[in-house]
Amino acid sequence: MTTVFRIEAPFRGAYELHRLTFGSGSPSVAIVAGIHGNELNSIHAVNLLVSSLRVQRPKGTVHLFPMVNTFGADEGRKRWPIDDQDINRAFPGDPEGTAVKRIAHALLETSNADVCVDVHSGAPQVREIPQVRAPMSGEELVLARAMGLPVVWRRPGDAMDATGLVGAWRAADRKALHVVGGRGVTLDSKHATTLADGLQRLLGHLGIVPPIGAGRTVADVTHTEVESHRSACGGFFVPEVWVGDLVRPGHLLGRVLAPIGGEQILEVRAERTGVVMTVRAYPLVHAEELLVRIAVTGS
Amino acid sequence: MLARMSKLSTLIELEVPTGDVVPVLRRRFTGGSPGRRVAIVAGIRGDTPEGIRVAYSIAELLETMEKDLHGTVDVYPCVNPLAAHRGSRYWPFFEIDLNRLFPGRADGHSPDRTAFALCEDVRGADQVLELRGAHAAFREAPQALVRVKNDRSAELAQRANVHVVWKRSPGPAAPSTFAHQFPGTIVIEGGAGNRLSQGVGRQLTRGVVSILSTLGVIGSTEAPSTEPITVTDEQVRRVRAERGGLFLPGCDLWDEVDEGQRIGSLIDPATGVHVQEIASPVVGRVLALREHPVVLAGDMVARVVAT
Repeated sequence: MTTVFRIEAPFRGAYELHRLTFGSGSPSVAIVAGIHGNELNSIHAVNLLVSSLRVQRPKGTVHLFPMVNTFGADEGRKRWPIDDQDINRAFPGDPEGTAVKRIAHALLETSNADVCVDVHSGAPQVREIPQVRAPMSGEELVLARAMGLPVVWRRPGDAMDATGLVGAWRAADRKALHVVGGRGVTLDSKHATTLADGLQRLLGHLGIVPPIGAGRTVADVTHTEVESHRSACGGFFVPEVWVGDLVRPGHLLGRVLAPIGGEQILEVRAERTGVVMTVRAYPLVHAEELLVRIAVTGS
Repeated sequence: MLARMSKLSTLIELEVPTGDVVPVLRRRFTGGSPGRRVAIVAGIRGDTPEGIRVAYSIAELLETMEKDLHGTVDVYPCVNPLAAHRGSRYWPFFEIDLNRLFPGRADGHSPDRTAFALCEDVRGADQVLELRGAHAAFREAPQALVRVKNDRSAELAQRANVHVVWKRSPGPAAPSTFAHQFPGTIVIEGGAGNRLSQGVGRQLTRGVVSILSTLGVIGSTEAPSTEPITVTDEQVRRVRAERGGLFLPGCDLWDEVDEGQRIGSLIDPATGVHVQEIASPVVGRVLALREHPVVLAGDMVARVVAT
C-alpha cells in the first residue's frame, strides 16, 4: 500500500490517500471507490477485489483506491466534512488549492491507466441494481459490457462533467467507466459482490487475470428504454418490488400513503416489461421524486 | 391589510412528504409606463440571509413607488425556501447545491424543476441581479461580480454601492450556476455567511436602487456613497494556509495592507505551537476574511485585492 498524498489536519491525524497496486506493465487499470464517504458498497466491492488479487498474479497493472474520502466515511457523509465540498466536483483539482482540490489533483495524477473505473453506491434514498451508466460508445461500451453487470445504461449526452472524476479522466483521453450499485449509507453485500465480480470480469477481459464466468446482463438500454416513475405527490412510499425483479405491464411497483393516517394516495404500476433497476429505499418522498426505475426489456 | 402594489405569483410548488406545500414566489412590480424588465433573485443558497434581506428591502421600497416605476421589476425573494428554513447552503434532504443545477430540468426532481422554472421565468429580462451573502466560513466586503469582458455590466455595477467590482473569468463550475445562464448578470454580495451584518444590507439596498435608477426603471435617487475599484482575477489574490491549524485573524475586513504585512496567524490548537505567520502577498485591501477558523493546508484564509 502506498500513500500517494497526505495532508495534515488540525485536531486529528493526517488525511492520507492510499493506493494498492498489483502487478506491473500493460495493460493498466485504475479503480476508485469511496470518493463519496457514505457509499460503502463501492468500498466493499473494491476490498473484495483486493482479496482476490492477493492470490493472483496479474499480467498488467491494477491500481486500487478503496476509500478516497476517509474523513467523510468516518462521519457517514458523502462530502469532505471540513468544508462540506464534494471531491467529485473538484476535478481536475489543484495542487496548491483547498484540501478537496489537492485530493482531486493527487487522485487524477496517480490513477493514470489505460482504463479507469469510478465505483459508487446509489444515493442514501435509493437502492440501485449494479450497473454501468454513463454516455458511452466505442471501446468504452465494449468494456462496460464486458463487466457483465445486470444493467448497462447508455445515458444521453456526449460527455461527463469534467469537474467529476470520470469526466476528468475522459478529458485526459483515458477510457473511463462509471459504475453504481446498492444504496448509500448501507452495505448491500450481494450488490457489492456483484460489483466486485464485474470488476474482476473487466480485468479478465483485458487479460490481466484469468477470465471468470460471464455475468448476466439483463438489460442493455438507452435513456428512452428506461421507465422512471416519480411520485405525483408527497407521501410515504411503500415498495412492492426489489431491484432485479422482472415486471410486466400493470405490475404493482408500490404505493404512496399518507404519512399521517396511512391512507393510500396512489398506486404505482409498471407500464412496460423490464427489470427493476432502482427502488426508493427511504420512504418519505417529495412530490416529483423518483420512486422506481425500470430498464425496459420488452413492450 | 393595506393593498399591495406587487402581484404575487407562485413559480413552483414544492410538496414535502408530510403534505405541506412550499411555494417559490415571485413579486412582480409593474409600473404605470413601459420600460425595462429587471429580475432580482435572492436565496439560491439557504445560508445567504443578507441577499434575502436586500431583496425584501427593495420590494418594500418598490411598494411605495407605483407612480415612479417605469417597466417591471420581478423580485424572487427566496428561491430555495427549504434550505433557508434551516439556514443551510444546500437543498435539504438531497443535500444538493442548487447553484450547481442550472439551467435545471423540467422532468427532474424538485431542485432541478425549481432551477428550470426560475430560468424560464427570468428569461427575457433586460437585467438580472443576483443577491447573495458570503460563504458561511467568511466575511466579505460588499462587492459586485460580473463576467469578464462584459463591459456593460461592469459599468452598470459601478452604481452598486460596493467596494469592488470584480470582473471574473468563468471557472469550471460556472456553466451550472444561475448567473452563467444570463451573461449580463450582476452578482451583489457582502457581509457574513448565514447572518446579517450591520450596515451591509442598507449599503447593498442603496446600490440596487441606484442600479434601478440608472436603468431608468425608477426615478433619480441618491448617488451611491461608495465608489468601487474595478479589478480582474489577476488583482484578486487568495491567501492560503500552508498547513492545518486554527486561523487567528490579525486584521479586519477592508483594511489596507502592505506587501508582507501580517494578516493573521496559524496555530496548532492542541500543542499551542505557532505554525505560520500569514502575510499579505501584495499592497491592497482585505476583500474577504476567514470567520470559521479551522483550516487545512491550502484553505483560503483571506482574499486581498491589489490596489
